[in-house]
Amino acid sequence: MTKKEKFYDLLKKDYVVLDGGMGTMLQASGMKVGETPEMLNITNPELIQSIHEKYYEAGSDIVYANTFGANEYKLEECGHSVEELITAGIEIAKKARDKVNKNGLVALDLGPIGILLEPTGVLSFEAAYDMYARCVKAGASAGADLVVFETMTDLLDIKAAILAAKENSDLPILATMTFEQNLRTFTGCSISAFGLTVSGLDVDAIGINCSLGPKELEPVISELSKWTNKPLCLKPNAGLPDPKTNLYNVTALGFAGYMKDLRKYGIKIYGGCCGTTPEFIKEVTNMLKENGNIQREYVEIKAAVCSPTKTVVIDEPRVVGERINPTGKKIFQEALKNKNMEYILGQALEQTNAGADILDVNVGVPGINEVEMMVDTVKSLQSVVDVPLQIDSTDPKVIEAALRVYNGRPLVNSVNGEEESLKNILPIVKKYGGAIIGLALDENGIPKKGDDRVKIAKKIMDRCVSIGIDKKDIYIDCLTLTVSAEQEGCRETLKALSKVKNELGLKTILGVSNISFGLPNRVLVNHIFLTMALQSGLDLCIINPNIPEMMGAVMAYKVLACHDLNSVNYVAKYANMPKLKTVAVDNTGNSGNNVVTTSINLNDKKGNYEISDLSYAVKKGLKKEGADITRELLSKFDSMDIVNKALIPALDDIGAEFEKGTLFLPQLIMGASVASAAFEVIKENMQQNGSQKVSKGKIVIATVKGDVHDIGKNIVKVLLENYGFEVIDLGKDVPYEDVVNAIRDNDVHLCGLSALMTTTLVSMKETIELIRKNNLDCKVMVGGAVLTPEYAKEIDADFYAADAKESVDIARRVLG
Amino acid sequence: MEKIILDPIDKKEALRYLGYRNTKLDDNILSLIDECEERVRQIATPRYVYKVFDFEEKEDGIILEDTNLYMKGNSITNHLKNCEKAIGIAVTIGEGIDREIRVLSHTNLAKSVVFDAFASACVEQVCEKVEDILRKEFKGLNMTFRFGIGYGDLSLSYQKNFIKVLDATRKIGINVGTTDMMIPTKSVTAIIGLTSKEIPRMNRNCRDCNLNGNCNIQKSGNRCM
Repeated sequence: MTKKEKFYDLLKKDYVVLDGGMGTMLQASGMKVGETPEMLNITNPELIQSIHEKYYEAGSDIVYANTFGANEYKLEECGHSVEELITAGIEIAKKARDKVNKNGLVALDLGPIGILLEPTGVLSFEAAYDMYARCVKAGASAGADLVVFETMTDLLDIKAAILAAKENSDLPILATMTFEQNLRTFTGCSISAFGLTVSGLDVDAIGINCSLGPKELEPVISELSKWTNKPLCLKPNAGLPDPKTNLYNVTALGFAGYMKDLRKYGIKIYGGCCGTTPEFIKEVTNMLKENGNIQREYVEIKAAVCSPTKTVVIDEPRVVGERINPTGKKIFQEALKNKNMEYILGQALEQTNAGADILDVNVGVPGINEVEMMVDTVKSLQSVVDVPLQIDSTDPKVIEAALRVYNGRPLVNSVNGEEESLKNILPIVKKYGGAIIGLALDENGIPKKGDDRVKIAKKIMDRCVSIGIDKKDIYIDCLTLTVSAEQEGCRETLKALSKVKNELGLKTILGVSNISFGLPNRVLVNHIFLTMALQSGLDLCIINPNIPEMMGAVMAYKVLACHDLNSVNYVAKYANMPKLKTVAVDNTGNSGNNVVTTSINLNDKKGNYEISDLSYAVKKGLKKEGADITRELLSKFDSMDIVNKALIPALDDIGAEFEKGTLFLPQLIMGASVASAAFEVIKENMQQNGSQKVSKGKIVIATVKGDVHDIGKNIVKVLLENYGFEVIDLGKDVPYEDVVNAIRDNDVHLCGLSALMTTTLVSMKETIELIRKNNLDCKVMVGGAVLTPEYAKEIDADFYAADAKESVDIARRVLG
Repeated sequence: MEKIILDPIDKKEALRYLGYRNTKLDDNILSLIDECEERVRQIATPRYVYKVFDFEEKEDGIILEDTNLYMKGNSITNHLKNCEKAIGIAVTIGEGIDREIRVLSHTNLAKSVVFDAFASACVEQVCEKVEDILRKEFKGLNMTFRFGIGYGDLSLSYQKNFIKVLDATRKIGINVGTTDMMIPTKSVTAIIGLTSKEIPRMNRNCRDCNLNGNCNIQKSGNRCM
C-alpha cells in the first residue's frame, strides 16, 4: 500500500485523532524556553518517545514527530543537520508507534521557516521552497507516513511548502494555518483565500491549528468549511493563556465538550495544539467514541479568485483592468525593456483606484525574457495591490512560472480549442489550482457563427472537466470582432455568450474595446456594447477602468440588475460628482476626464501661466497644477528653459530652506514630487518631438543586503532624478554582486548605498569592499539613520550624505 | 488579555520624528498629516505579549531564568540593578502598516514619509498603554523604564532569541530576519525591571543612545523621549 492509500484508508474511519501539544510536554519536563526542541531527538530520545507513546495510548491515530522547527534557518547554530534531526525525530516516533499502536501513522511535522517571505520579509519564494524540499526529502526517506504543515500564517509560505512536498515525495499532505479572532492570519490572509488556494493545490486534508481555543475557533472552522471539500482538521489550543502565568484556561473535559459541538462542521481529523496533553486527547477520543462523528456533505463552492487578502466572488459582473499590456503602447514596451517596474506598478494602482476587481497582466514584448519579466512583475504587483491577477500569456512556460509564484488563486488567460493549447495549458492550471479562460477559437480561427463558438466552448469545458478542473472555474471568451469590418459579428458574439452562459452553464468574459476599431467616438460604441454584453450574461468585463463611461456602464448596470442593493455603491461613487461642463471624448478612444480643475489662485490665470507659476507650484507642493502648468508652458517656452529657469531654481530654493530648517522633510518631498510630475510632462513632450534625452549622468542606488528600509533611498532617488541624473534603482535587500554588476554594466561613476540598521552596516561595508575589489571607477556615497561621517570613512565610502539634499550636492560635484 | 484601543496619535511626536521645527505649515501639509493620523489608526492592529522572569545577575550581564537567554552588557545589568524580576515585552501594530507604506511609496512619497512617522508614534503609544496595563497588573511594585533590545550596549543580536523566549512569533506575529530586524517593522521589544524597592527615577537619555550625536531629532533641538 502506498503512503497515500494508507492515509485515505485511515480517513475511511468515522474520525481520525491526532496528538496534542509537544512543546507543552517538553516544557513540563524542564526544557528551557528558547532552546531548540529538535535537539532532544539526539540528546534525550527517551523523553520524546515517551511523549509519543502517551499520545498513542490516549487514542492518537497520527502523531507529529518532533520536527516542527527542523529547517536549515532555525537549526543554523545548533550543530546538527536538518537530515540528522528529522531522521532521528521520525525514528523515535516510529518506535513509539511500533510499541503502542501498530496501525498508527507518523507525520513529518513542519512549521514556518521562521523568516518572512518577500515582499514583507527577505526570503524569496524559491529559497523557501528549497528549505522545505530538504526537510521533506529527509522525512520521506526516514519513513514518515505523511507531511503536516502547521501554524502557517503566510499563504505564499504554505504554497512553497506544499509544492516542495508534492514535487519531492509521494507523501499525503495535511496543511493547517493559524487564524486570529479577526478571521485573518497575522499576515492578513483570509480563510477563503486559504481554502481556495490550498484546496486548489490539491492537498489531502486542510485545517486550522493553534492561536485560540476550540470555542473561539468556531467561526474560523465554520468559514473554512464553506471554501473546501477536502477533509477538515481542527487542532485548537487549550483555550487562551493567562498572560501572567501562561496557563491555558480550558480543561481536558471542557475541551472535549467544545469539540463535540464543533462536529457539526463535518470535521474529520481532531487534535490539540498548545496547552493540550494526552489527557485532552483521551477525552476527545472518548467523546468521539461515545457520540460518533458527523460526516460532511458536499458543499457547492462559490466561483472565485483571490489574493491572500482579497477574494473576488464572481456572482455579479466584475471588472478586469486591461492596462498592463504592452500591445500597441510604446511607453509600456520601453518600460518593459528597461525593467521599469515603477511604471507598471503605477498602471496597476491607477486601475485599482478606478475600481478594477482583477488585473490582467501581460508583459509579452519581443526581445525580453518573458518568463523572468512575468515572475518579477507578479511579485512586484502583489507587493502593492491586493486584487487578484489574471496571468496573460500565450507561452505555457510563462504561465507556469507565474502560477508558481502567484500568491493566491489566479485566473489564467488563456487556453483555446486547439489541441496543442489544451494539451499544454490545462495540466498546469490543474496543478496550481487556477481558474481558466477559454477562447472560443481553434486551429481554424474564430468561427463566424456564434453556435460554432459555443461548440468550441463545450469542447474546452469537457477537456477541463476530464482533467479535474471544476466547471465553475471556466470562463469563456466568445471574442469581440470589429463591427466596422463585420457588422453582424456583434450579434453572433452576444448570441454565443448567452448560450455559453445559459446552456453550458459556464461563466463568461469579454474584452470589449475591439468592437469600435476604426470608428470615431469609440468610447460611445464601447460602453453601449459593454451594456449589451452585460445584459446577455457577461461576468467578467475586460475594460480600461480609467475611462469613466466604461466604469459607469458597469456601475449603472449593477443598480438596474439588482446587484448593487439599494444602489449603495453607485451613490457612494457618484453622489459628490462635480458637474462636468462638457464631456470631452476624442476619437482615439480616450475620454477627457480632465475638465475638473482645481481651486487654487492659479486658477484665475488659466491659460496664461508664467515660468514663475511653476516655481510657485513646486514650492507649494501642488502636483496636479505643476503638471498642468508645465503642459501650458511648453506651448510658449523651450523645454530646457522651463527646466533651468523654473524647476531647478525652485528645487534649489526648497533644498536651501530644508537645510535651514524652515521647510521640513514632507514639504521637501512634496515639492520634489511636483517637479517629477513636471519632468514627466517634459519627457513625454520631448519623446513626441523626437528630441534627445538629457542625462547629467547615471547613478546606481540601493538599500544594502539584509535591509528592507527604502523610504530614505526613494527620497534620494526622486531628488536626484529632479536634477537630471539618471537613477538606476536596484531596490532594497540588494546582493553585493548586483550592485557591482549594475555599476559595471552601465558604466556608472557614482553609487549611493543606504542602510538603516546597525546590523546592516556590515552589508554596506561588504558592498563597498566588493566594489573596490573589482577596480571600478566609481565613487560611493552612503547614508542612513545610524550612519556617521566617521563610520562612512571607516568603511571606505567616498562621501557621507546626511540627507537627500546632500546627496544631490555630492552628485553635482562628482558628475558635474 | 486586555484589548488596546488606540487614542488619537500624538501629532507633535510624529512631526518631531520628521525633524519638524515649528515652522508654519501649508494647508495641504496639514491635511496630509490629518489623513495619515487617521489612516494609521485604521490599519494598525495593536498586539502585545509579556512574560515575567526571575533573573540571575552575572558579572557581565543577566540570565533570564528557565530560558537560555544570557544577555551581556553593562547597561542592561545596571538597568535591572535593585530589581527582583524582569518583564519582557514585545509590541507590534501589524504588517498592514508595512504594506501601506509600500503602496504609498509608489503613489505618494511625501505621504509615505508622514505615514511612517505616525506609525512610529502609534507603536510608541501602544507601548505606553502596555506599560499602563502592567502598572495595574503589578500594583504596589515599581517599574523601571522600557529598555529596548539594542539600546545602550545591549546587542541587537539578542533579538531573535528574545522573540523566541516570549513566543512572540506565534502569539503576535513578530518575525526576526537574518539581520535581527523585526517584521512587522513597527514593533518594539523591551525589558522592564520590577521591584518592591524605591528606585531612583531613571529615564532613557541621549547619552546611552546609539544615535547620540548623529540624530535628526537631536539636531532639530528635540528629544525622542
